[in-house]
Amino acid sequence: MDEWALERYFDDSIANDSSFILEEELDSHSPAPSGTGPAPSHLPVKAGPSGQVGEELDLSFLPDEVTDDATGHMTTCVLWVSAAVDVSQDSGLGLDSSTQDSAAAADPQQGASGTGTGTSTFCPMTPMTPMTPMTPVTERSGIIPQLQNIVSTVNLGCPLDLKFIALQARNAEYNPKRFAAVIMRIRDPRTTALIFSSGKMVCTGAKSEEQSRLAARKYARVVQKLGFPARFLDFKIQNMVASCDVCFPIRLEGLVLTHQQFSSYEPELFPGLIYRMVKPRIVLLIFVSGKVVLTGAKEREEIYEAFENIYPILRGFRKQ
Amino acid sequence: MSRAALRCSACGSSNIVEDALYCQAQQVCVDCGSVVSEDALSSESVYVGGSDVSYSRTTAGAKKPCMNLIIGVQRVISICRILRVNSEIEKLTQIYYREAYQHESFIRVSLRKKEHLVGCCLLLSCRLLNWPISMATISSLLDADPMVMGMLYIEMVKILNIEAPIVNITDVMEAHSHDYQISSLHAPEELSESHKDLTKRAVELVELSADTWIVTGRRPIPIMMAAIYLSWQSLKPNKHRLKLSLEKFCQLAKVNKHKPAIKRITEMKEMLCKLGQEIPWVREAVTPDNVVKHVEDILKHRHALLRRALRAQEDALLAERQASCEDLPIKEDADNHQLHGETLKSQDPEPNWGKRVLFAPPCVVQAKKSRVEQPELTDVTGDEEISDSEIDAYIRTPQEVREFALSQKMLE
Repeated sequence: MDEWALERYFDDSIANDSSFILEEELDSHSPAPSGTGPAPSHLPVKAGPSGQVGEELDLSFLPDEVTDDATGHMTTCVLWVSAAVDVSQDSGLGLDSSTQDSAAAADPQQGASGTGTGTSTFCPMTPMTPMTPMTPVTERSGIIPQLQNIVSTVNLGCPLDLKFIALQARNAEYNPKRFAAVIMRIRDPRTTALIFSSGKMVCTGAKSEEQSRLAARKYARVVQKLGFPARFLDFKIQNMVASCDVCFPIRLEGLVLTHQQFSSYEPELFPGLIYRMVKPRIVLLIFVSGKVVLTGAKEREEIYEAFENIYPILRGFRKQ
Repeated sequence: MSRAALRCSACGSSNIVEDALYCQAQQVCVDCGSVVSEDALSSESVYVGGSDVSYSRTTAGAKKPCMNLIIGVQRVISICRILRVNSEIEKLTQIYYREAYQHESFIRVSLRKKEHLVGCCLLLSCRLLNWPISMATISSLLDADPMVMGMLYIEMVKILNIEAPIVNITDVMEAHSHDYQISSLHAPEELSESHKDLTKRAVELVELSADTWIVTGRRPIPIMMAAIYLSWQSLKPNKHRLKLSLEKFCQLAKVNKHKPAIKRITEMKEMLCKLGQEIPWVREAVTPDNVVKHVEDILKHRHALLRRALRAQEDALLAERQASCEDLPIKEDADNHQLHGETLKSQDPEPNWGKRVLFAPPCVVQAKKSRVEQPELTDVTGDEEISDSEIDAYIRTPQEVREFALSQKMLE
């Protein structure tokens, strides 16, 4: 029973993510609600995913044009999901129908499920789940976004006397009428910290996660030296900003036309296009010069992933 | 008095709208614009803010519909009629206004912001129903800051979850050109131009600028102003027109000059020069000074000229690359000398890509020098030892503290 449950979970996640691709491939097929038929190539797609998809389909990672390179990849996925959909559809009817066995027999060949070998080898997060962009590896951009700013928070764990800190520390400024925190700066790494009377601290300006952590520790040490029982609790990176240059001009008007759900371009207000990517949840500022600013990440990988997702889209808007 | 019974004394129409002008409500005829009647200068506050109990807290059993909402909707109607948009847009704007007004994010904002909301809803419906209008127009009508209204518009669109297409600059061009009063009725014969000719040529010029990266990312109004100015000059490139500066032209046409328009004119002239050089029958060099008289030919044959110019650029690049291949042994020595000095040599090829192509966005061609990145702390683990001396450098000595406290006291 467990094996079937795991397989169903895995198949569900594929079906949900790939139904867009399937619909593209199978315009001509009419939806057949039940009766999947033994042939896996026959794809009663629409009934399956439509029943399961309650959430929004996230299409932000898909490239604009389906190139020939991608179709090969996609047809394998299609066969994948067909078998998966067969199984998931029939699972409601009962696990011992003969059609299901034949479909299930087709599965292990594609390595979809570990039913033959046991659930221990089965992992829902195998790389075959189409959660990554559909561009083949050869089209990687070769450009790496450079981190420009990291914002992190840490809890020093004790209430602080801001007036005392501003008096005793050389690198602090405190203007309670303007802002209710001490602004402290250190030279190395070159960062700025906002220290609040509750003991919470925000550290900005570092160029990498490790630098941010080192800087936060230095600020905590300064506060410690001033006589407070400061600790270093719950250090967390809250935001990362990176930038890079794709080195070709970008037609922002075209981009906002085709990616309307994600883009906001108002030349009267701001010269760049604001692209809100859904997965990963990153905001990109795209400028006509080809410079791209990525922000909103909590981890470095999100930035790299977001850039690899946007690069093929930008390439599509390169020439006039 | 019922509004239906009112008739305009000047033109006799019954199309009367209530218009709130500053703090005085007036009844205005839509067709001829004359004021039919005026209200008292300071009426009893119709705004709910005047009563002791705020609207949201009132315990009245039958709540009257919010007065501010009604006034807002009336404002919507009056603005729509001023702009003479069609009835569909008027209806849609009212719907959006009601929806936005009653949304929790906007129900408690200031009355001024609610007025901005009127403009935002109008902008949204115009965009959805393909009526080209710019934010600047609406905000000048409401006497609002375009930036503030724009940010409110973005927020509203996100909250209402609507996707509105952007406005094409060429569509707005015609409405914009009507602002310029240089038809034969308003300006002397020598300097006048018909709207049709002016708009047609300006639209072509704007399309050409859009192809050559002058338009993307820029505010549309200075671009339109530059296009109209150049079109006007080129329609009759005689001495009078060529000598007239942009400032004088704007005074003549009774529009407010926009400073960025001067830069756009320069950029457009540069672009036109590049294309003008490809005209086969022009013998002299085409410079920004004499390009205006060729503008007509350039626009007429712009596609062919673009192709020629791009091909010429490609050939030039090829020739340069071949030449550099031949010169490579000689160049290497020169490069080695240079490499010692500059640490950022490797980054040079990237910023210069703008100079290698014929047309590039001006911000790339005139790239500002980026700050030299200090490669401070590479390979930091975050868990290093922090020396005491470093931390002590940030703490004041007792003597300093005393002096500092003293100086603070003296400053107070």
